[in-house]
Amino acid sequence: MEHADVNVVYSVQHQLPLVMYIGQYFFFTGLSAGSFVISVIATLLGRKEFKPIGKITALLAPCLLIIAPLNLILDLEQPLRFWHLFLFYNWTSPITYGSFLLTAYPIMGIIYAVMVYTNRQNAAKILGILGIPLAISVHGYTGFILALAKARALWNTAAMPTIFLVSAMVSGIGLVVIIAAVRWKWFDKKADKETREGDKKLILQLAQFMAYVIMLDLFLILSDILVLLTAHSDAFEAGMLILTGNFAPLFVGVEIIMGSILPIILVLGPKSRKSLSAAVVASILVNIGVYAMRFVMVIGGQTIPLS
Amino acid sequence: MVIDIRRCIACHACTVACKAEMSVPLEVNTTWLKIVEKGTFPDVRRFWIPRLCNNCTDAICARNCPTQATYKRDDGIVVVDQHRCIGCKYCIASCPYDVRYINPLKNIVQKCYFCSHRVDAGLVPACVESCPTRAMVFGDKNDSKSEVAQLLAANATVVIKKEMQTDPQVFYINADETAMSNIENDNHYYTEGALIKLKI
Repeated sequence: MEHADVNVVYSVQHQLPLVMYIGQYFFFTGLSAGSFVISVIATLLGRKEFKPIGKITALLAPCLLIIAPLNLILDLEQPLRFWHLFLFYNWTSPITYGSFLLTAYPIMGIIYAVMVYTNRQNAAKILGILGIPLAISVHGYTGFILALAKARALWNTAAMPTIFLVSAMVSGIGLVVIIAAVRWKWFDKKADKETREGDKKLILQLAQFMAYVIMLDLFLILSDILVLLTAHSDAFEAGMLILTGNFAPLFVGVEIIMGSILPIILVLGPKSRKSLSAAVVASILVNIGVYAMRFVMVIGGQTIPLS
Repeated sequence: MVIDIRRCIACHACTVACKAEMSVPLEVNTTWLKIVEKGTFPDVRRFWIPRLCNNCTDAICARNCPTQATYKRDDGIVVVDQHRCIGCKYCIASCPYDVRYINPLKNIVQKCYFCSHRVDAGLVPACVESCPTRAMVFGDKNDSKSEVAQLLAANATVVIKKEMQTDPQVFYINADETAMSNIENDNHYYTEGALIKLKI
């Protein structure tokens, strides 16, 4: 570097503003958005074999989205003042979009789940179509929260909302695969052999779909890193921080190798592609990888000093 | 505000005066001095730069604050309404200058307000008042008779991170580029003397 022989004798850095509550919130909204999208796809296709998955995911989405904002409120320094978000809103702040989206989306999700469970197909389809943009904005805005905090080079990229959306899909599908497999193994014993075979096939198909979404996610991460490494000095530092610096074990090891490449091999590999347990293991790995990604993004993004 | 580094002697008087005036708790600083050493022995030189909130004209913190707790006064000073701040810390994450912090006693976000209470009373900020060499000059840069406007007209000035498009209102004369930048050396993530608390 230009000034390699510089020592910082004294400067002040304040403590990390955003802690892992925020990362957990990103993780839970991601799971929720992903499972909602899967549910709507299942409802829209309207085929009989998709029904169990459609039902599980319709219930999962609002449940997860009730847990997620609790993380946000816990992160506030003044949790009892959270209602200020609705009273003194500021339209230029991404958090404001979020606070309204986070109110509208679970309500819609609960109505949708009621429609799915009471078998009102048409109403469920309409709500599902209306809900997909809502689900996408609920998770897309979390990407905007990071991207619009322009001080932090690791966050300040246009790819951030898309990366968040795609990784949300990945983790959401992973969760659905795990839960559907648990249901198949222990709660689906009474069904006839044909239905069970069909269910197993469906879970494996879902796992394969997950592998393709992981490939898209890997491409987005690759392009993000390539641009970081060729952009300005802060961005270069951010890229090196996650490639070779303190966050490399989590990013390269857990997120990329363990959480993306290994699941793809498990799900698409010729030996394990018909195995349900391989799909479940892949889904668990994927979720660990996505959680690590949230950690790297939230904590890693703030590690480079600004003063 | 104009800070003339040619006059600054790195005495930390501004830091101490600010701490006393604004009751800044331990662990955090509203105003401080950043000091770097450049070169290898025996060709070494030390550079420093007083740091404080730039009270940007296009303040990213005010734009991103979800509750309008951070807002700009008519005279351009960016302030935090401590009864409205919910402590979401998004402004701290967005600020390119790392001058905002959580007050550990009050649990709200705080920063430098150019001592707005003193300015309202017709005084200058505490750091300017205490500066023994008059390196810090405060005033209205649009008033051509003010010392600030004259200094800005007669000297080459720089601001920190101009590329952030925030239009900072703290101008430096003769500041060292490396001292202003946040990328100093390869292992700067845990700089000496700096306080990093990993609260995960």
